[in-house]
Amino acid sequence: MKKLPFLLIFLGFCVSPVWAQQTITGTIVDENTQPLPGVTVVVKHTQRGTFSEKAGNYTISATANDTLVFIMVGMATQTIPVAGRTIVNVKLLVETQLVPEVVVIGYGTVRKSDLTGSVASIKSIDLTKITSLNPEQGLQGKVTGVQVTSTSGAPGALPTVRIRGVGTFNNSSPIYVVDGVILDDISFLSSEDIASMEILKDASSTAIYGSRGANGVILVTTKAGEKGEGKATFSYSGEYSQQVLAKQIDLLSGKGYATVVNEIIPTYNNVDLVPNTNWQSLIFHPAPMMSHQISASGATESTLYYVSIGYFKQEGIVDKSSYERITFQLNNTYTLTKNIKLGSFLSITPYKQQNAPNVTYSAYRARPDLLPYKPDGSFSEVFNVGNPLADLAYSNNHNKGIRGVGNLFAEATILKNFTAKTSFGVDASYNQSVSFTPAYFVSPQQQNLLNTLNKGDSHNVTWLWENTLTFNKEFGDQSINVVAGYTMQEASSENFSMTGKNIIRTSSNFWYFNPNYIYDPNNGVNTLGSISNGVDPNQNFSMISYLGRANYVYKSKYILTATYRRDGSSKFSAGNRYGNFPSFAAGWVVNKESFMKKFPSISNLKVRASWGIIGNDKIPYDKQYSLTETMVTVLGNPPSANSATTYAVSGNPNLKWEGTTQSDAGLEIGLLKDKLTGEFDYYNRVTRDILIPLSTPDYLGNGQGAKVDFNAASVKNSGFESKITWKSKIQQVWYSVSVLGSTIKNKVLKVGGSSGIDSVLYGGYLANGIPVTQSRVGLPIGAFYGYKTNGLFQTQADLDAYPHLSTATPGDLRLVDVNNDGKIDGNDRTNIGSPIPKFILGVNLQASYKGIDFSLDIQGIYGNKIFNAKEVVRPDPYNWEKHVLNAWTGPGTTNSEPKASYGGNNYLPSDKFIQDGSFTRLRNVTLGYTLPSNYSKKVAIKQLRIYVKGSNIFTLARFTGYTPEIGSSDVLSNGIDYGTYPVTSVYSFGVNVTF
Amino acid sequence: MIIMKLKKIFWLCLFVLMAGCTDFLQKDPQGNLTQASFPISASDALQATNAVYAAVRDWYYNSGGYPILDIMSDDAYKGSNTNDQLSTVGAYDNFTFTSTGDGLDRWWATLYQGIRWANVVIEKVSTISMDTTLRNRYVGEARFLRGLFYFDLVRAWGGVPEVTSADPPLHLGRASSEEIYSLIISDLQYAETHLTKKSDLSSSDQGRATVGAADALLARVYLFRKDFTNAEKYALKVIQSNEYSLEPRFIDANGVNGNNGVESVFEVGALGVEDFEGGGAQYANTQGVRGSPNRGWGFNRPSVDLRKSFEPGDPRLKGTIIDLGDTIDGVFIKGDPDPANDPVIILNANNDTINIQCYNRKVWTPGKDTPTQWAHHRRLIRYADVLLMASEALNENGKPTDALVYLNQVRSRARGGNISVLPDVTIIDISQLRIKILNERRHELAMEGHRFWDLVRTGNAQLVLGPLGFVTGKHELLPIHQSEIDISQGSLTQNPNY
Repeated sequence: MKKLPFLLIFLGFCVSPVWAQQTITGTIVDENTQPLPGVTVVVKHTQRGTFSEKAGNYTISATANDTLVFIMVGMATQTIPVAGRTIVNVKLLVETQLVPEVVVIGYGTVRKSDLTGSVASIKSIDLTKITSLNPEQGLQGKVTGVQVTSTSGAPGALPTVRIRGVGTFNNSSPIYVVDGVILDDISFLSSEDIASMEILKDASSTAIYGSRGANGVILVTTKAGEKGEGKATFSYSGEYSQQVLAKQIDLLSGKGYATVVNEIIPTYNNVDLVPNTNWQSLIFHPAPMMSHQISASGATESTLYYVSIGYFKQEGIVDKSSYERITFQLNNTYTLTKNIKLGSFLSITPYKQQNAPNVTYSAYRARPDLLPYKPDGSFSEVFNVGNPLADLAYSNNHNKGIRGVGNLFAEATILKNFTAKTSFGVDASYNQSVSFTPAYFVSPQQQNLLNTLNKGDSHNVTWLWENTLTFNKEFGDQSINVVAGYTMQEASSENFSMTGKNIIRTSSNFWYFNPNYIYDPNNGVNTLGSISNGVDPNQNFSMISYLGRANYVYKSKYILTATYRRDGSSKFSAGNRYGNFPSFAAGWVVNKESFMKKFPSISNLKVRASWGIIGNDKIPYDKQYSLTETMVTVLGNPPSANSATTYAVSGNPNLKWEGTTQSDAGLEIGLLKDKLTGEFDYYNRVTRDILIPLSTPDYLGNGQGAKVDFNAASVKNSGFESKITWKSKIQQVWYSVSVLGSTIKNKVLKVGGSSGIDSVLYGGYLANGIPVTQSRVGLPIGAFYGYKTNGLFQTQADLDAYPHLSTATPGDLRLVDVNNDGKIDGNDRTNIGSPIPKFILGVNLQASYKGIDFSLDIQGIYGNKIFNAKEVVRPDPYNWEKHVLNAWTGPGTTNSEPKASYGGNNYLPSDKFIQDGSFTRLRNVTLGYTLPSNYSKKVAIKQLRIYVKGSNIFTLARFTGYTPEIGSSDVLSNGIDYGTYPVTSVYSFGVNVTF
Repeated sequence: MIIMKLKKIFWLCLFVLMAGCTDFLQKDPQGNLTQASFPISASDALQATNAVYAAVRDWYYNSGGYPILDIMSDDAYKGSNTNDQLSTVGAYDNFTFTSTGDGLDRWWATLYQGIRWANVVIEKVSTISMDTTLRNRYVGEARFLRGLFYFDLVRAWGGVPEVTSADPPLHLGRASSEEIYSLIISDLQYAETHLTKKSDLSSSDQGRATVGAADALLARVYLFRKDFTNAEKYALKVIQSNEYSLEPRFIDANGVNGNNGVESVFEVGALGVEDFEGGGAQYANTQGVRGSPNRGWGFNRPSVDLRKSFEPGDPRLKGTIIDLGDTIDGVFIKGDPDPANDPVIILNANNDTINIQCYNRKVWTPGKDTPTQWAHHRRLIRYADVLLMASEALNENGKPTDALVYLNQVRSRARGGNISVLPDVTIIDISQLRIKILNERRHELAMEGHRFWDLVRTGNAQLVLGPLGFVTGKHELLPIHQSEIDISQGSLTQNPNY
């Protein structure tokens, strides 16, 4: 398998003496008999080599028994024995034509040309490009229809992945299948261990996964070992990076703050004398990140193996945050007999993480006229917000654990055409968390009387047993591939946590729960409080499935696929458990038709279409049940806690599967021998019977804000995806450019309705309980909801002329009376924007010249909005963003920035806080150099590459926050900046070595 | 051949597995009972009964969280710093709240949640086979509490959906207030027949509903309905039971020394922990001193009007109001340190004092820190109120001399031994005595959530609260929260003029 090229540059010396050497010459041409200069010619097992020159001719010394190897980037390498000749001519062919590309699909592989579904394939080299512990980041901008957002820059944070829009109100994330094990995340994998990722997007390709495929499927194949020359290949990769905050938010300085406060109520006599504290500079600092990985892979007659061990460590740009991980990967395949194969894939990942408190939001609000420390060196009081440096100093929040994912399989070929495979996979994890807060006093609002210890343990085990029988036969012009299978899966979990106050000593040696060491200092009674023990409601389910797929190809031109899957889930009560998910697809490889011979420049033309139904059951396991809850009642003299039990919120025993009907039509085209390729898809997915929690009438007694789950919503996502790639070379520079564009249209079709309860879903709650998103029919999911504004009231006359709040004065925002009822109230709130982008762009450029390789990735997201929630909730005096300096101070001074105030009417959720979330970002730039092999071979190194790269180093965006990349795993709170840990710019250098 | 055999075995295994797999998809709730399996035993019955008391300790039980009844009355104003909750809680100061007003949904939902938990006992415990007296006592406790919840509902909203089952039907409409009162009275009468006396309760059962509590609540209900005959009957029943008396010191009537004491007829127990789950109650913390000492948010501050209304030298003024500069239980009261945002004195355009930064003394607990406020036991019914109810009913029934007896008992305790203040009342003119009793109620029971209802039920709301924004024909009732009206899809109609 050819990797992207390591050009071997020789300076043309032939050294060591040999016996009976002759001079071999020849001409190297391409498939059009054009001469190829710059081709590397090497005598195998020696250090002799040369280049072909302008006319394609080369000269080299070799014996009659030697073998010559001809290598050129973008061309398939040829190995030709001299076999006694003195002239050896070679024709090199472009790589893609020689090796038919094979794509991994669910429960099998298929030739790309035979594919009827919409599948994108990413090879490992693209995944190791982005500096990150999350391989998903490598997909951003490479695959049409996929949006990867970092919701937080905190070390260890997982990104949110969306394939073709937001499909449901619940968990809208795709599933990952790693070597056959079905998982919800791949945080335990090192990018270096991945051989390829296939992204299954449409119904036909995901149908085989039935229930879990509704939001897309990402297949991950880890490295299995390569059939090399019999010797093991060792490689080492190391990388060291520095993360920096890309930009600070423009907040007011001490002087600016004092100026604005004086506009509200004269307080500061001389604003120039006001001290200035830049809280952001105090909490953020550059932080290092590094990773190392060693792997060994090889093959013998009957085994393939790949072993690796990796280490990753990331310090956060905020103190007290970090992530550290070791990854072990052990993959083996054994061919026991001609027909029986056994294999195992195993990943074990221990990790350690420290979590900082949310000082980002504190630093944003903290008054800049206050100094961080008192003259005696202790932490100063920061009114209403708390001193962020004290929060950091007193925080001790750690978690650590271990994750193991593994799969054992056996495959047997029976009767030549049948393959039976059984595999058993396990995903097990254990996590322990500890949090200790010492006793401290900074101010009456920021103090902790008794030290507090909280510890928790959780473990999850999920096993999956899959059995498939595959039939493959080619007869004449037809080929048939049929898969039938039966699978079972079960997930179980348990968690346990405890809290206690006032441990006898504060050092970490004492962070254990011995009741005699945890007590109330006034009376010695032990203060063990809140014990909680139970199962994780999202990790307690079982599933049985029957699956089948038939693929029929006629004359390699006409392709038909039919898939059927029947799933039974424990999350629904008997009677609603099973769902049926069929799908059909067809493809036509047009360029194989005889009439296409008239267009020789069209090297590939294929049309395909698919339709299918896929399901989703990702809700907590107990929503079908009506349960009880326990609580405490205080009775007695002296008062003491008595146990009590009563009814909790009622469940819904009628819950059933969500179903998504998806259709896709696609066109693939290749021109000029696939120098220019294009792939275009149109998709349309409608998800029905979405499980959503709806409000019920309060008199049912479920309690304030209680919700019950119903199958009561529908959502539609549709869009157009395109990818155009141009690969070519100029002189000796080989390059390729890819441009990707996707559009998404997301619309809610139904909410509540026939259940008689609720027709809108609120979300995006601010700290003061006000929702800023409203999902209702006709709008996208999570559409922003608030007042519309129209300039300011400049004078009292303006106020008298238009409806306004009773407390409004000149200088306030004019809120629009949307429903024209003559007053401004809650009913004037309306749709003010959408967090879902209209257009996603990706541009990838790669180039290589001799030993130098260069790549550039640009990502763009357009048409989405961001709600700047951190600016809105203001019960107390906080700092402001810079634009407040332009506040209204009298009629005519401005018509956009209302008069300064600490809080109140001008901070109601309105379009004043909606910003354009569009951005264009230079996601990745890498420059690498591979050392000429004759130098590296001197120290027994097959290949050495060094590189520098930068990630997220430049962003063009209008958003005033740290980063415009604001996502959320909660689809109803999408695109809202609550003041989260910023994503950083990363500069790295690294080395890859192969022995 | 072997291949064929292997294939057969393979398919056989598969069939066997699939056949035995139907239970595989059954995942029962872990660590949690289903409603179908609870309550079924005597100990379950105790658990279910205990749960209903938790509803009165919930922060939302107290008129949705913030003391809006006192804020609507002339006793108190919003409090906290000027901007805090200005548009939400501040709207109750001047009656500008609407059907989307803050807290209305929380109060309504929590009352109905309490009613549901009571219905679990009333509907299900009565079918458990266990000792009959004990079972009737449990049901009696639940019916007392259900009566309490419905009384809060019917006063605040008028006729409301009548729910007497743990699983009521959807699309219930509003019952008439008559029907609700019938339900309340039948619940309370059952309670007073089947509950124990306070003196018969063991120390670990203190805080449970008692005969005296049921009788006192009946008196309050009848008084609100202007049924003075029955009000007199039940108030006197409590007095003549000799189960209760007044605390010698006024501050103990609501203070920690009077917890489960002689004056307490029904109170809410709580522990000094800063969360509801652990047994704490946030009622006092909401009104606690703001700043230094840091006891809470400082809402519901006594008004200048209340301060001025006390008779000269009435010690109950200092027993009701904490001023900045006071020292209480050794703690100096400095108040909110941010003068720009929370001034000590608020003046109007004419330099008149509108409000002064001060706090509710009745929720004060001694101690060093914020969690101690969570241990405050709120008195829902106390003996002084029973005496004043008796006095008012007797006066209305044409027995002013008898009325004076109980009125003067209250004043005598308030005096605290200082004979130069609060002289005994001697008025026997019924209409004058009526006014005197109303004022006495204000001075005795200020900041305890009584004033607003007293003004409404005596027809004085327009006179006293009109200047604050009260509108007759509208503000005697609160609006049903708009979200509840919307969800009902037409089954619930809004109160007039909202």
